[in-house]
Amino acid sequence: MISRVDLGEFLQAFLGEADEHLTHANAQLLAIDAGLKRGEPVGRQVRELFRALHTIKGLSAMVGVDPIVAIAHRMETVLRAADRTGGRLPNGSVDVLLQGIRAIEQRVRALHAGTPPAAPPQALLDALDALENDAPPIARAQAESLELDPAIAAKLGSLERDAIASGVTQGKRAISARFTPSAALARAGISINSVREKLGAIADIVKVVPIAMTPTASAPAGLAFGLVALTSSTNAAIAAAVGIDAASITVIAEAAASAPVTSEMALLPPEDADDDAGVRRVDMVRVEVVKLDDALERLSALIVSRSRLSIEIARLGSLGTDTRNLLALAREQSRQLRDLRGSILRLRMVPLTEVLDRVPLIVRGLRRSTGKSLRLDIDVGHAELDKAVAERIFPAIIHLVRNAVDHGLESPAERVLAGKSEEGALRIECTAVGNAQLELRITDDGRGIDRVELARRAGAPIPETEATLLALLCRPGLSTRDQASDTSGRGMGMDIVRRVVVEDLGGQLAVRSEIGHGTTFSLRVPLTISIVDAFTFECGAQRFAVPLSTIDEIVELDVATIATGPVRTASSAGTVGVLARRGQAMAVLRLDEVLGLPAAASASGRPKGLVVRLDGDSVAFVVDRMLGQQEIVVRSLADPLVDVAGIAGATDLGDGRPTLIVDLMALSALHLAQHATAHLSIPKERLS
Amino acid sequence: MTRALVVDDSKVMRDMIVACLRARPGLSFTHAGSGLEAIERLSLETFDVVVLDLNMPDIGGIEVVEFVRGQDRLKTLPIIIVTTRGDDGSRTQALAAGASRFMTKPFTPESILTEVSALLDAQGAA
Repeated sequence: MISRVDLGEFLQAFLGEADEHLTHANAQLLAIDAGLKRGEPVGRQVRELFRALHTIKGLSAMVGVDPIVAIAHRMETVLRAADRTGGRLPNGSVDVLLQGIRAIEQRVRALHAGTPPAAPPQALLDALDALENDAPPIARAQAESLELDPAIAAKLGSLERDAIASGVTQGKRAISARFTPSAALARAGISINSVREKLGAIADIVKVVPIAMTPTASAPAGLAFGLVALTSSTNAAIAAAVGIDAASITVIAEAAASAPVTSEMALLPPEDADDDAGVRRVDMVRVEVVKLDDALERLSALIVSRSRLSIEIARLGSLGTDTRNLLALAREQSRQLRDLRGSILRLRMVPLTEVLDRVPLIVRGLRRSTGKSLRLDIDVGHAELDKAVAERIFPAIIHLVRNAVDHGLESPAERVLAGKSEEGALRIECTAVGNAQLELRITDDGRGIDRVELARRAGAPIPETEATLLALLCRPGLSTRDQASDTSGRGMGMDIVRRVVVEDLGGQLAVRSEIGHGTTFSLRVPLTISIVDAFTFECGAQRFAVPLSTIDEIVELDVATIATGPVRTASSAGTVGVLARRGQAMAVLRLDEVLGLPAAASASGRPKGLVVRLDGDSVAFVVDRMLGQQEIVVRSLADPLVDVAGIAGATDLGDGRPTLIVDLMALSALHLAQHATAHLSIPKERLS
Repeated sequence: MTRALVVDDSKVMRDMIVACLRARPGLSFTHAGSGLEAIERLSLETFDVVVLDLNMPDIGGIEVVEFVRGQDRLKTLPIIIVTTRGDDGSRTQALAAGASRFMTKPFTPESILTEVSALLDAQGAA
């Protein structure tokens, strides 16, 4: 009856879960680093990090990934010792632990890529072993008297008591609530899991204790759970959110109303104090992104039916009905829908600074592992990004950061020889592009990309332009080193970055590199994905939409004023002309020709020019007729067969006919790349 | 039907344990992802055997064993601890709290099946 079960079959599942635990471990280590700098207790984070590594170790052992077991085991030993002293870590622990996490991550990546993980670096194991913990245990916080059920109080350890004390100092209330499970509640989906999840959304759960009791009518299972939490919400709000009886909630500790102002508080200037209090007292609700997605999905349907309503109103109007009131209402509704869309999208926005939170920690590890000296400068202001975009873009940013440190920046000695300062500079910054896009730039002042060497390794011609350089860099499997380096590893390359930015997000990726001076990667991504304001127009007897945000202006064109320029080509790239506009020259392209469409039989009226501006150069695209302005739901064209340059996706304008969304930015970039535009360039200083 | 409760915060680990135990006919499985969930299920439902991890986020396996053994109805329920923590201290502590068996990870499919079968057979379960 012995069966053969191959636990190796669980490798893929293991890798997925390992990623989760590693993310958690990174977050805990970051919190530890921040907490230590602020002199706050980090006992809970140390315990959580210990748990994450313990789980990784156990899983790795089951699927037989010994190098990860070895690393996780030693990290676990350090953390267990720290846990015993109340979370006190030996000096220098954070860096070594970070290296440990990186080493595990590299091995998980290797397994993802189907290659056997490397043996653990002996230097790392030695460094972990060397972290001797001779720190004395942290003095126990004075056992405060909490107004609490003794059955729960007995289960609260010093870490939990510390957490309660520090939460109360920050102005939160410590509460105790009771949940009594039953079979009936379980059938209704109410269990300790759901209660914990709901309470966790509006409070910081410190401890949950099972309490055994004699079975009674009100507690048929002979079990209740005592939950201890810190919160800023009222008892009534908690009871409503969690679905428990408000009477079962008791306050076990809170800041005394007449508590004397601490000296630290008194030192703060008044406006700062206000600010701080404002931030703390904001009631936060955590919402799963899927719920927001669901709301957006419903809104999309509403916007489509709103468009159909407009069509119907227009039809009524054409039959002679007085539709003025109806039109006014419809316009009002459009505005409300736009506001609603704005509100929902804002809910999904996360500050870019928060997205980049982990970068300093990663760079810190890279400094150690590469021995390079560098200064990291993150300047992204208050920019925000849709969470869905942020999640996709983050791994790409990390790849670029690793690449910059690993391949871009030189060693201190090399830099001195090259006449540079010993310390390299790595800069992450961003600028808004219109109101729908964000351009992130990752710049290093390192050695720049050696095109000749790159071409030699790739077995390709030397890239002459930045576009061909990027294409070469993004070749799948291209490694710029013979040996996979310790930090960048192998298999995760620029092709992944390109895929995320260009294919997943519909953005643009660019590179600028100068030998000896450094490299800049620019990632242009949409702030949100899904709905945009768009102009609709006709061109070559077809209907198109173009995102409003990409259009600089719309001009009326008088064919007579367009000078046919010297750059006119016989190719199908569109007739090129030059239009003088406010004293500046502007390229003019016929969109129908650019897209290879038959020209409209007879374009009535004057053609319009949609002007886009790209890096200071303006390009006007000639279209036959403007139709209007409306919100469109962008559906990306995932099919590689219809992957046409300049087509950003498709949308439904409300009549069921698919309409293509053109990307005039991409088309003008193509045009500008194809033609020497020196005669069209305007001196930069005149543009500002 | 003989019912097993598999308690581990790692879903992959629970799946692996279930894969190993599937070889025993007539055994059905319920997952619990935390110590608290395990206690709730044990209080509301009936199980024939529990496979329990020690290291979990909310309350650990030892606490679960202590709680279970404090309940008259669950005093003799077979509990097998499966843990990465193989030190003698954990083993002594778990057995003292009332665990029936103690196994360390990594385990082989055969070893866990043998241990669980032995517990069930001793109970006279099918």
